[in-house]
Amino acid sequence: MKIDCGHYPLMGGFDELLEGPGLPRPGADALCDYFAMLPPEELEARHRAVDAAIMAAGITFTVYSEAGNIDRAWPFDVVPRILAKTEWDHIEAGLKQRLKALNLFIDDIYHDQQIVKDGVFPADVLADSKNFREACVGANPPFGVWAHICGTDLVRDGDGTVYVLEDNLRVPSGVSYMLENRQLMKKLFPELFARYDVLPVDDYPAALYDMLAALSPRAGERPEIAVLTPGIYNSAYFEHSYLAQQMGAHLVEGSDLVVLDDDCVYMKTIEGLTRLDVIYRRVDDDFIDPEVFRADSTLGVPGLMRSWKAGKIGIANAPGSGVADDKVVYAYVPKMIEYYLKEDAILPNVPSYLCMHEADRDYVLANLDKLVVKPANESGGYGMLIGPKSTLEERAKFAELIAENPRNYMAQPTLSLSTVPTLCEDAIEPRHVDLRPFILQSKDFYVTRGGLTRVALRRGSLVVNSSQGGGSKDTWVVQEGSAA
Amino acid sequence: MMLARVAENLYWMARYLERAEDTARLINATTMMLMDMPRGASFGWEDLLKVVGLAEPFHKLYDEASESAVMSFLIQDERNPSSIFACVRHARENTRTFREVLPRESWEWVNELYLYTSTHKSSALDRRKRMEVLTEIIRRRQAVVGLLSGTMSRDEAFQFMRIGRNVERADMTSRVLDVSHAVNLPFQGGQFTDLVWVSVLHALSAHQMYRRHVGVHAKGHKVVHYLLNDAQFPRSVRHCLTELQSALGELPGQGPQRQIVSLIRTLDAVDGRKLAANETANGGLHGFCDRLQSGLALLSGAIAETYFRAAHSQPLSQTQFQLA
Repeated sequence: MKIDCGHYPLMGGFDELLEGPGLPRPGADALCDYFAMLPPEELEARHRAVDAAIMAAGITFTVYSEAGNIDRAWPFDVVPRILAKTEWDHIEAGLKQRLKALNLFIDDIYHDQQIVKDGVFPADVLADSKNFREACVGANPPFGVWAHICGTDLVRDGDGTVYVLEDNLRVPSGVSYMLENRQLMKKLFPELFARYDVLPVDDYPAALYDMLAALSPRAGERPEIAVLTPGIYNSAYFEHSYLAQQMGAHLVEGSDLVVLDDDCVYMKTIEGLTRLDVIYRRVDDDFIDPEVFRADSTLGVPGLMRSWKAGKIGIANAPGSGVADDKVVYAYVPKMIEYYLKEDAILPNVPSYLCMHEADRDYVLANLDKLVVKPANESGGYGMLIGPKSTLEERAKFAELIAENPRNYMAQPTLSLSTVPTLCEDAIEPRHVDLRPFILQSKDFYVTRGGLTRVALRRGSLVVNSSQGGGSKDTWVVQEGSAA
Repeated sequence: MMLARVAENLYWMARYLERAEDTARLINATTMMLMDMPRGASFGWEDLLKVVGLAEPFHKLYDEASESAVMSFLIQDERNPSSIFACVRHARENTRTFREVLPRESWEWVNELYLYTSTHKSSALDRRKRMEVLTEIIRRRQAVVGLLSGTMSRDEAFQFMRIGRNVERADMTSRVLDVSHAVNLPFQGGQFTDLVWVSVLHALSAHQMYRRHVGVHAKGHKVVHYLLNDAQFPRSVRHCLTELQSALGELPGQGPQRQIVSLIRTLDAVDGRKLAANETANGGLHGFCDRLQSGLALLSGAIAETYFRAAHSQPLSQTQFQLA
């Protein structure tokens, strides 16, 4: 097999690397040349080496079934996605602006709710929010920041515009795969890096550490930081362990921690109990403290909320942050940016129809075959209706669901997601991609350079979630004119 | 500082890997000797099971101690928690839970050891391929040991692995010593009593070092002394105890140190000649090994009580623990 850009079957939408057959975008020409020169057997060999490296490194996500836990190798495509630095700078500014506004919103919601009083954000959306936590009202996390780690999904439509698809503010995952993808590319195509100035991504663990350390209640000392995982059977366990390792932090489960009468959190160590300062929790709100949330949770730590509200432990993301991770709340982000920052949104939202509004609902019900309908609170691509690919029965079912609970549904036009050349069975073919950069905020801001490019490996598919047959690519932010 | 749960997992991961390697070495030594036997001669597979202390669990699963049944049981049968594959799999599952405390490649190498064992375990049943596969397993396990030795800080995590490795090794040596002299191991040939002791040395991969440092002739009392008390041979019980003493010295807490001192005193009092000739009042070599094994059991108990208890006790209160 040979990567031949001249016979690349463009799908009519926007392709990230090629403007037309045999016509690479500026910055992608050196890459296309390289692949065109690579002998087919060499490409085959490297492709096999990728699979072997992934298995050996155990870069997997775990699917739990009755037969035991199955490790699925992380599907990786060798053709990188390229973004020009100037475009990236614009996106980065937009991402920071967005997270800043979201954090002001969350802090406002758990205090005076001024945005509701001023009529910018509807009270009934808040009243029906599944992720609003009564227990968080009045809490004052450091810097007024609640969502410290945000994974924002971006997509590019046919005309080249980059839209924000959603903000993941609960326990967004994928950053370890972004880091691993770069390691794999460096190992397998070292000569490509000689042709490009690719901005490095590997300072993320240090940035994450600094962001977490700033949340320590004991300023001035080296903080004890732990990643709280639901355990080995969680599908993102690889990432939890990876990040703890990269930061030199502890990887703990709920049963390793205890909150004592002094409201401090302690780790059960070989020397007895040792105080913990910051928790990067990868356990959902519902499960973190059985005294406050789900009483049957064995994944959390009884008393954790008490400790957090007393300012004795830093928790990222703060409990309750999920209130802004809601596909209906999402539609209001541009208004939040205007309201809190007095700025226009740098990155546009995908046009959204909120079924709670009668006019929108009528439009959605009349156009189910053209729209993508999403429930407000699901993640991982579950519970969606993709109109153009749906059956009559599925549309009827969704019409019913929407009528029952309009607040829980929103719809967006089906975007023609951009494509990137991808190595398929026996040729290079376009496959749809999205992009998930990660943004950090506590004392300072940090944005990953690029992010995780997820790719829908099935021909024509728009679903990029790893739980649903998606894979990923390395993402390169390159300085224009740097390619040699 | 180290989580009690992680410390316990590290300890067991090292024990599992040591057990896998020791078993592989024992089988390789047996297979080598097998080839020296006249065709058609019957072979004491039952005795091999006794050496590793697994005769009873074996007969719960298999009828006859044939070569294929015993090899399957010791190499690949997951129902035997001490089989090579079960040990490697446990070690790998354990390693997954503390990847963050080890150098990055450790997980990859343990994972590769697992993948290799998983793929090749059934070909190790075949006498023709057995040596090659088991040697590769030993080599890959040793690579992990070398990697840790060359790249890992001598921190608490390292010490817990060192402890696990040496507890397992001391256990193996005392067990082989206990049983080997009583059973008809294939190595001994039956003609010369010396060969009983050669077989014991082979089973513990000690033959070459013994010859180099003690002598060509495997005299009973010298072998007993070498395997119990030699200060330099890494599989002698004394060497294991010294390693344990040094590793425990790097950790907080005094409990297990007392058990070590008492075990070392037991070794100091050994009269190799009498033990080898089975002349001592307290049950001879067998009685001595029994006492050694109970001492080692007390030691593991003290280690668990001192370091792993926090991982199991519920609920905790401030008075139970000194705050660090």
